[in-house]
Amino acid sequence: MSGAVSPAKSAVASGAVASGPRAPKFVIAAAVLAAAGFAVPWMVSSQLALTLMTQSVIYAILATAIGFMIRQNGLTSFGHAAFFGMAVYLMALNGKFDAIPAELAILAAIALPAVFAFLAGLIIVRLPALSFSMLTLAVAQSLHELMLRWRELANGDDGMPVRLPSTLFGVDIEVFQAPSTMFVICWVALVAVIAVLTVVARSHFGVLTVAIRENEERARYVGYHTLVPRALVFALSAAIGGLAGVLFALYNAFVSPGVLHWSLSGEALIMAVIGGTHAIWGPALGAVIFFIVKDAVGDLTEHWPAIIGGTLIVVTVLLPHGVSGLLARFAARGEARKP
Amino acid sequence: MTAFALEGIDLTRRYGGFAALDNVSVRLEPGEIRGLIGPNGAGKSTLMDALCGRGGPTVGRVVFNGQDISRLSAQARRRAGLARSFQRTNIFPALMVREQVALAARMAETDNTDEVLDALGLTELADRRAADIAYGDQRRLDLALALVGRPSVLLLDEPAAGLSIKESIVLARLLRDLASSWKVTVLLVEHDMDVIFAVSDRITVLNLGKVLAEGSGEEIRANPEVVRAYLGSSIE
Repeated sequence: MSGAVSPAKSAVASGAVASGPRAPKFVIAAAVLAAAGFAVPWMVSSQLALTLMTQSVIYAILATAIGFMIRQNGLTSFGHAAFFGMAVYLMALNGKFDAIPAELAILAAIALPAVFAFLAGLIIVRLPALSFSMLTLAVAQSLHELMLRWRELANGDDGMPVRLPSTLFGVDIEVFQAPSTMFVICWVALVAVIAVLTVVARSHFGVLTVAIRENEERARYVGYHTLVPRALVFALSAAIGGLAGVLFALYNAFVSPGVLHWSLSGEALIMAVIGGTHAIWGPALGAVIFFIVKDAVGDLTEHWPAIIGGTLIVVTVLLPHGVSGLLARFAARGEARKP
Repeated sequence: MTAFALEGIDLTRRYGGFAALDNVSVRLEPGEIRGLIGPNGAGKSTLMDALCGRGGPTVGRVVFNGQDISRLSAQARRRAGLARSFQRTNIFPALMVREQVALAARMAETDNTDEVLDALGLTELADRRAADIAYGDQRRLDLALALVGRPSVLLLDEPAAGLSIKESIVLARLLRDLASSWKVTVLLVEHDMDVIFAVSDRITVLNLGKVLAEGSGEEIRANPEVVRAYLGSSIE
């Protein structure tokens, strides 16, 4: 410990709180990953397999939204299906009542969950973690019940079609509903979401929200307001949940109350936990593992959820940072061995 | 008339029928180090809380560099230059040492991250996670977070808690240096009497929420009421 005070050796730019991603490497990695998605339809000929992969990528986006919330806010949402379902129903109801152009409805379906989460977040992110989780569950289940019971509006359990125009943003609607093209769209969306969240996480805002997660009182006593950043993380996470809902609506063109059910929130949360939330991409990896296990074991037994449950227990006990944490540890060891 | 760096005027804070602070006034001259001592439950931390805007409502006024800041939030007081550290180590464990000092510097709209790291001997630990450094280093990091932006008044709540005798002596020397080089006014709560008497220009003694005595180290040592209520044989 130095006993004397010395003058500043060098100034640190005020924006240097968090170094951004090393730009060229990061952009190249994101571009390569996005481009890899274009190769998949060439390699996978089965339409069924492509359909399953498209669905899994959509759920991977939802899981990424939940993981981001855990990573930045330290809060676990048990009801992210609310944002997913809100987006799908908004598009379906817009098709039914022909209220606004479909393109505008898509933007609204992403913005509405974000605004709702921000306003709710100003109240509920202050609560203890368990209360927050329970409230998110309660909100999602309330919406589920609303859509289930209000038959005149949403046709209850029978669900309703999502009526879409023949073109969207000048692109033929078929593009959004054919597995080979929709897989690519969803894949690029997933890579973009991960890239954007990585930039956010490494920004001043990202470091601040982690600091608040770690020690909210200290953050306050270095002068920061802590409520709005936490509500903004919730809003961003909800917007991504909404984006997943939009992709689901475009691809399936149908909605039922199941998209608001707690089981969807639970599955996405399990994906996030298995993949690990330390890395932004962890929950997406968890989604891949989830669907592989589901597909492989589902052929053998109808009790596949038990296998998923077992996997979850193993990961929780042995890999507290999930599979992505394990991979990161291997990568760190590899780096350490380099001369 | 002297402009005080910080004044707490007639501060009273009650918890139910119990007065944790009972009409306490304290005035800190610019650049002084004021020791604040007293037995457990005397109201030392409550006085710190009242001055920095933490906790429940307080009767009385807080004047900072001539400005009444009684109605300002804790964040606003920090931004104005009134910083504090806490009894328990209060850092951001998952962040790198530099990262969190820079975060605090950004709020303080200064770029003295390197200066603070250097002053507190944390430069070599700058790229390590705060959770992974030694306890003594974490205490200094806690101090660094309070010092960023060169606050004009620093409230330190037991900064030497848990430190070895050697570390406490080094910390005491560091506080003296900081007060004189950076012109920081310090209000220091500390149970280690060696640290208190080594660094304090004046000492305020609290007992049962009231000011029992105030004076130089010599005056406090010689005050029979203080010896009876708090110091006992610890200064023999």
